[in-house]
Amino acid sequence: MSKVIRLGYVHLRVTDLEESRNHYSNTLGMEVVASEPGKLYLKCWDEWDHHSLVLEEGGVGLVKLGYKVESPEAVTEFEQRAQRFGVTTGRFSAGENLTVGEGVRITLPSEHNIELYTEMEYAGTETGAINPEAWPRNVRGVGTHWIDHALMPCEDPGLNERFLSEVLDFKTAERVVTSMEEPEVIGTWMSCGESPHDIAFIKGPNGKLHHFAYHLEDWSSILKAGDIFAMDDVPIDIGPTRHGITRGTTIYFFDPAGNRNEVFAGLGYRVQHDFPTINWTVDHLAKGIFYHARELNDAFTSVFT
Amino acid sequence: MADPRDPKHAENDITVLPDGLHVTAVGEETLLKALGRAGLRYRVGCKRGGCGVCKLHLLAGEIRYERPIAESVLSDDERVEGICLSCRAVPLTNVVVELQEGDRLRRVLGFLTTPSKGKP
Repeated sequence: MSKVIRLGYVHLRVTDLEESRNHYSNTLGMEVVASEPGKLYLKCWDEWDHHSLVLEEGGVGLVKLGYKVESPEAVTEFEQRAQRFGVTTGRFSAGENLTVGEGVRITLPSEHNIELYTEMEYAGTETGAINPEAWPRNVRGVGTHWIDHALMPCEDPGLNERFLSEVLDFKTAERVVTSMEEPEVIGTWMSCGESPHDIAFIKGPNGKLHHFAYHLEDWSSILKAGDIFAMDDVPIDIGPTRHGITRGTTIYFFDPAGNRNEVFAGLGYRVQHDFPTINWTVDHLAKGIFYHARELNDAFTSVFT
Repeated sequence: MADPRDPKHAENDITVLPDGLHVTAVGEETLLKALGRAGLRYRVGCKRGGCGVCKLHLLAGEIRYERPIAESVLSDDERVEGICLSCRAVPLTNVVVELQEGDRLRRVLGFLTTPSKGKP
């Protein structure tokens, strides 16, 4: 298991901050916890750190992802390994990100920026940590629990997989390869804990976002989310359906700037230390991505922000 | 009487090449919405101005954008070439647009009156 704990924050560009506030706050149910000119900070009810989403007005796509790490020593070790691997790293100081301590910024081989940090101001979940109710009564819209993972396109998923594995100790839960005989990696789903994926990559252009995902409780919550998207006129990319890869149930949909979001439920299995990596051959890719339809829609491989 | 100069009551003809079909954009609806209302589908992505998949070539007429469009989605060069983002483009006049190379209109509401061909 990695000393990386989880995907802690997603920093996203949006064209219109107010429309995005409405989407993330009223449709998805996140709480706006802080704001600055041109920026909003939000958190889900089931998250305990200060925020998990930063919205920045201007453009579309990903600014960076933050991954929370167990200790400063682990951050330093990751930094040294990243440098030996040959990618660009840099230090950032406490407060550079609102309520976030110091850390290390790493540019992945795929040109995505990730930040490793150990401290963010504690806010507590909406239900608290003493005799909590099952869920808060005032939850709005979809009522997303937490930001779970992100998937990015990149030119060489195999290289990113090697980086995440060798530098950050992520384990490959599942991957898509050209064939079992000559396995070029087309996609990779990687875990830092026991969840089937905390980060994932598929073949495509460097530096862009495919989607980031929210965890929901179960299949019926996915259905209810779909109903809310219909009520709020949110464009749905696909779903409700199931992924073959990770076995998660899902809806892909778009925020008001066109960034793809996902609601995701069901931890199909646990990625334990000795979990045998699952391989999908590319001729079964469509079934791996959309288990029921067994064919990819145009958007899956063409819509990135 | 509704003022025909009021954008809310505007009616602009959209000619879609290469098929040469005509549909009418009503009020402040986008090219995508007008074509969709007519039961026509073509290559689109996020429908929210983020991905650029639904770009069309604007051959004649004027459009405006209902939202800011990111430079990373539609570059200045593309704007000069007459490329427009159909999910955000609202016609201000009658317009002629052409689908991207290799794309065709598909009818998804075959039982509707088919959009007219030829002059409106």
